[in-house]
Amino acid sequence: MKQVVQAKLQRYWDLRAAGNFSFGGTGSGLIIAAALAFAVGAPALAVVVAIVLGLGLIGLGLFCVWLEIGRPWRAINVFFHPHTSWMTREALLVPPLMAAGAAAVLFDIRFVFLAALFAAGFLYCQARMLHASRGIPAWCQKETVPLILSTGVAEGIGLYLVIGLVIAAAPPAMIAAALLAAVLREAAREAYRRGVIAAKAPEGTLAWFSLREEKLLTAARYLAIALLALAFAGLVPAALGGLLVVATGWGLKVMLITRAAFMRGHTIQYTPARGRDSSHAVMPS
Amino acid sequence: MTRYVMVADLRRCVGCQACTAACKEANATPPGVQWRRVLDIEVGEYPDVKRVYVPTGCQHCADPPCMHVCPTTATRQRADGIVTIDYDLCIGCAYCAVACPYEARFKVDHPKFAFGEEASVSEQARFDEKKIGVATKCTFCVDRIDSGCAKGLVPGRDPDATPVCVNTCISGALAFGDIEDPDSNVSHLLAENKWFRMHEEAGTAPGFYYLWDKEAP
Amino acid sequence: MRSEKGGAAAVQQSVPTLCYNCVAGPDFMRVIVEDGVATRIEPNHDAVGIHPGGGRPCVRAYGLVQKTYNPHRVRQPMKRTNPKKGRDEDPGFVPISWDEALDAIAARLKDIQSRGLLDEAGLPRVAASFGHGGTPRSYMGSFPAFMSAWGPIDFSFGSGQGVKCTHSEHLYGEYWHRAFTVSADTVLTNLVVSFGSNNEVTGGVCAVRRHADARIRGVKRIQIEPHLSATAACSAEWVPIKPKTDAAFMLAMIHVLLHETPRASLDLPFLRDRTSSPYLVGPNGYYLREPASGKPLVWDERTNRPVPYDAPDAVPTLEGEFTVPLAVSRLADQEVVRHENAAARTAFTATVETMRRYSPEWASEICGVAAAKIRHVANEYVSNAHVGETIEIEGRTLPFRPVAVTLGKTVNNGWGAFECCWSRTVLATLVGALEVPGGTLGTTVRLNKGHDNRLVSVVPGEDGFMVSSLNPTGPADWKAKPTGRNAHRTLVPIVGNSAWSQALGPAHLPWLFMDKSPEEWPQQRAPELWITFRTNPAVAFWDTAKLTRAIAKMPFVVAIAYTFDETNHMADILLPEAADLESTQLVPIGGTKFIEQFWEYQGVALRQKVVEPEGDARDFTWIATELARRTGLIEKYNAAINRGAIGSPLKGESYDFSLPTDQVHDPDAIWDAVCKASTATLSHGKEVRDLAWMKEHGFFVVPFKRTDWYLYPSLADQNLRFELPYQERLMRVGEELRRRLHEQGIHWWDEQLSEYQALPEYHDVPGRWVKAVEHHGGRPEDFPLWGITTKTMFYSAGNNSGVPLMHEVGQNVRGHGSIILNAATAAKLGIARGDWIEVRSIVAATRGRAEPVQGCHPDTIVIPGQHEHWKTPFAKELKFPSLNTVTQMSMELTDATGSGADVVRVSVRKVDGPGKAGRP
Repeated sequence: MKQVVQAKLQRYWDLRAAGNFSFGGTGSGLIIAAALAFAVGAPALAVVVAIVLGLGLIGLGLFCVWLEIGRPWRAINVFFHPHTSWMTREALLVPPLMAAGAAAVLFDIRFVFLAALFAAGFLYCQARMLHASRGIPAWCQKETVPLILSTGVAEGIGLYLVIGLVIAAAPPAMIAAALLAAVLREAAREAYRRGVIAAKAPEGTLAWFSLREEKLLTAARYLAIALLALAFAGLVPAALGGLLVVATGWGLKVMLITRAAFMRGHTIQYTPARGRDSSHAVMPS
Repeated sequence: MTRYVMVADLRRCVGCQACTAACKEANATPPGVQWRRVLDIEVGEYPDVKRVYVPTGCQHCADPPCMHVCPTTATRQRADGIVTIDYDLCIGCAYCAVACPYEARFKVDHPKFAFGEEASVSEQARFDEKKIGVATKCTFCVDRIDSGCAKGLVPGRDPDATPVCVNTCISGALAFGDIEDPDSNVSHLLAENKWFRMHEEAGTAPGFYYLWDKEAP
Repeated sequence: MRSEKGGAAAVQQSVPTLCYNCVAGPDFMRVIVEDGVATRIEPNHDAVGIHPGGGRPCVRAYGLVQKTYNPHRVRQPMKRTNPKKGRDEDPGFVPISWDEALDAIAARLKDIQSRGLLDEAGLPRVAASFGHGGTPRSYMGSFPAFMSAWGPIDFSFGSGQGVKCTHSEHLYGEYWHRAFTVSADTVLTNLVVSFGSNNEVTGGVCAVRRHADARIRGVKRIQIEPHLSATAACSAEWVPIKPKTDAAFMLAMIHVLLHETPRASLDLPFLRDRTSSPYLVGPNGYYLREPASGKPLVWDERTNRPVPYDAPDAVPTLEGEFTVPLAVSRLADQEVVRHENAAARTAFTATVETMRRYSPEWASEICGVAAAKIRHVANEYVSNAHVGETIEIEGRTLPFRPVAVTLGKTVNNGWGAFECCWSRTVLATLVGALEVPGGTLGTTVRLNKGHDNRLVSVVPGEDGFMVSSLNPTGPADWKAKPTGRNAHRTLVPIVGNSAWSQALGPAHLPWLFMDKSPEEWPQQRAPELWITFRTNPAVAFWDTAKLTRAIAKMPFVVAIAYTFDETNHMADILLPEAADLESTQLVPIGGTKFIEQFWEYQGVALRQKVVEPEGDARDFTWIATELARRTGLIEKYNAAINRGAIGSPLKGESYDFSLPTDQVHDPDAIWDAVCKASTATLSHGKEVRDLAWMKEHGFFVVPFKRTDWYLYPSLADQNLRFELPYQERLMRVGEELRRRLHEQGIHWWDEQLSEYQALPEYHDVPGRWVKAVEHHGGRPEDFPLWGITTKTMFYSAGNNSGVPLMHEVGQNVRGHGSIILNAATAAKLGIARGDWIEVRSIVAATRGRAEPVQGCHPDTIVIPGQHEHWKTPFAKELKFPSLNTVTQMSMELTDATGSGADVVRVSVRKVDGPGKAGRP
């Protein structure tokens, strides 16, 4: 016998939360990209702009969260539970990340590597935050972690290419990195898709993949990869592909947080015996 | 050791929602917030169909994901297994709500009342500003348990030390007690009947048991 | 008790009281009061072991706090300023003082007194309507004493009660086995075959607890109904059936018992000694009687000759055909026919022959249930009956027959209900399971005396049966002129003439006749003053648009009003009464009572003033006393209280708490006397408890014998028989009624007369609703589906549609406020969950959101509850659909008992929104 599971879309986290994952992901990715760019010899100005913009984006993401929480004036309590909470850990990484970023800008550009380390930690915390949300099958999937990591990095490098448009053209290595990150993101996204299908996620979550918006986003992600490949060949400006990587990454996270996030629903393993001779169907596990 | 658990006998429950209503009054929860409620689940296809009423709420898990994710330590677990929320610590991030596999947590950002903007006389009497903007959920009526125990009463046996939903249940479907006590009513019920727990695959070790048939003699 | 909150100490009290918002009550509860404000409801655990529901009230009780503090309450008396009445007219209610309101009513009443209480047609000039199944009586304080002091009042304007109840069950149930309602002996039974009986929703806490315990014990319940209700959900098996075809299923079960199972599997001694089965039926269908005594004859097995049924030492033959040398039969109007060498057969044999044609294959065609399933249910019924076994209860050995058949609303009212009630009761008699432990039981009586213990009504009547008080149909004593607008004494002999009878007449006829009286019928005028309390016919009856127009024709309406609603929209005066938690009344409890209140105690409980009334609402006892005083009836009113109009008589053998009749008494003084008298009566004078004691303790009980749950011992002790299976008397009464009506030139009741049969002949029951479409000018194919309704526990009754808590918790149950339909049917119509759909009948249309489910017959849609409010605050915002809006109200859909059913042929289509609610 089949049970009709009426899983509901979560409404606790909305666009504001998606904002944190989008801006925070891109921001931390951008700081990682800055370190990478610095390593491959990018001009200091571009690296500095990238760090400043990355920190700004992370701050913007956190501001979004601050707007969402019910008791913003006691937000400081967020630091109280580093033992198990990825949200606390994410928050705890922010001050050193900010400090390292500031140090890179103000004192020594080489602090960018330290900043990138904290940024990577920050991004990882974001990924694990979603993964720890056991009420939401779309998030607690193990493939969520590489998906969030890869899209954050891809967005960061993508945004760096846009900076390159304004400050100084990004070195080909960065275009290659962007292309690689975008491809890896696509692989992570496909692995994620297979994962939720295999895990029998709620119908609403699975329906995400066939939504018109998601089909458009997928097409845009492929287009971004193509544009990056063309940029690598010098045929189009790299910023074009980079911008599209960022936009599709944010789109992905908005979808993941607000559209695909169906609750687990309530399932029973057996129907009860209602008196003598009543059948109790075994539910599919 | 004491470990309090809830037992719901699905053979008995008729989905009347008396527990839901009584819980709402006892805990003065605003409209839409139901710490205890009864699901109405349909299984099968016409004409071979069944409807099952499933009481649910916070499962007071042995390994509560809500507690692990909570960034403030507002959510804690007592030695007797009851998972609590400190409304003074909670920042209302709702992370616990998305971490809970049982949809048991609620957050209300602005005061809401049954008849609209204005609180009725009884709502004014019970309004608690502390519950605004923070996560809330079933407490197993922990205040009743504590005050009852202080008077030497036994939770699950004496009404004054027992969760309101259990006292209310008209079909006798809900039972409460200490699973570590082999003589408690819940221990007997679990020994004598077949049961399951919901979403065990989530690794939460819930403290909410569903009886569905008697054990073969 | 004190509780700390925000630093301030709140004084907390727990006050015992009761809830009687539906017929399944009363049930105990406690109200927690903090600083004078009621904050929550709790069970009364003092009643564990006394109340069958363990002192717990149902979900509705928890809504009483919100009901009390509902900001939409009418808080002071009001009067209408717009003389025009109608749904679209603003009544222009303005606040007035109690003096002005009561004086205005008293002036009307005194004017009526001066002109006579009856109008030119002999009908009461004052009418009153009270809602849900007599329950308003437990909230109207001493008003019954005022009505008693006043004189004739027309109670026949129904608001659902009367025809939307389990109506045929009330009438036939009480006639056959003192069963105003029928229940399984749930605590002992092994098998319940339930045709739509919705115990888990409408049976109250006592039924829910008893059935839950029975399930754990291992009872099997087979639920046969079109929609998978909560009761079907909690049954071992659900058998979907087409609406209104239950009679065919049950007749086929009888066929299986009589034609496919060995005779020895039936309870032959029970049939022989406790039923009319051995009575000899002559060629004209009437009993053959001994000429000298007029007693029905049986064929004595021992002497092989006919003897009177009560001949000592005779052994009546159950089955066979005989020749009776000399006998008489008694026809209509005392006509006696003499028979010589008449061919006779026993009533049992006549039954066997009549049932021959009703095979499971025949029934299968009608109900859409496989013949094998029907046969299986019948065989399971027989095999679980334990024929021959006994059980000892309180030292008495009684038959033990743990099988029961129960019927739900729409099965046991309206056309086909007679056949269903007859079949159910005959199924019980065939295996000896009527009124014995484990079997099919009555609960209480309302048409006979003995509300506290129905056994007192078991006294010998005619032909070896219990006495029955039918309305006379003879040429000299038939009431040709109706005494109330529903003509219950004129048209419905079996409803009798008790205090409850009028409300159980054809309660929709007065509404139909407001438009136009039928031919050869006194021209009915609207009552000059209509009092309403806890009733909302404008929502709760059928064809609500038509009904609302009829209500608007009432010249002067006094509404006891809690909030504004669709009915008091037409009122001239609104009187706010102190609500459930704000007023005082002593209520009888215990014994046996609907729906499944089987107690081992009986007594009284106090519904007490827990908190001060909101606004200027007043205790109904105060209102009644003031009306009595202002109409010069205070002495009669006090005398009625002294006589026992609102409880036990205030003077008994060992006590006298009578109130001086010439004084005005306050409510507490009145109830103090009633408390003392009632407790003195219950304890035979040993204990006297006053109001203060009752306020503290909540209730007072004495033991009630378990053997008094069963009628069988009383019949056996008096050697009486159940008047089953053969309905000789009803056949005669029907013929007499036909003659009387035809003598008056009345032929519009002829179809109803066809129900007076000795044995049921199946007629196309569902086809009547199809034909009704045609007769109304429609094409049956345009309305291809059945529309039915189902109750929900939150709104079973109780005037609580404006309580948000009920709506909130109701949303957890599927179909709440929606239109339930089969998922495959919905898919065919392109309808998805949550879509707005329109259900249209030949009468009107109603709109709601679709709830496609698997558990619904593909031919049927279900609209739970009775909503589509357009005036009641809060409820009107919900935009819920209602079957009442689209249900036909017509003479042709009225059965012989004067009842109809919540069934209608409908079409369904997808629409874009709620539209204009409730408009044709």
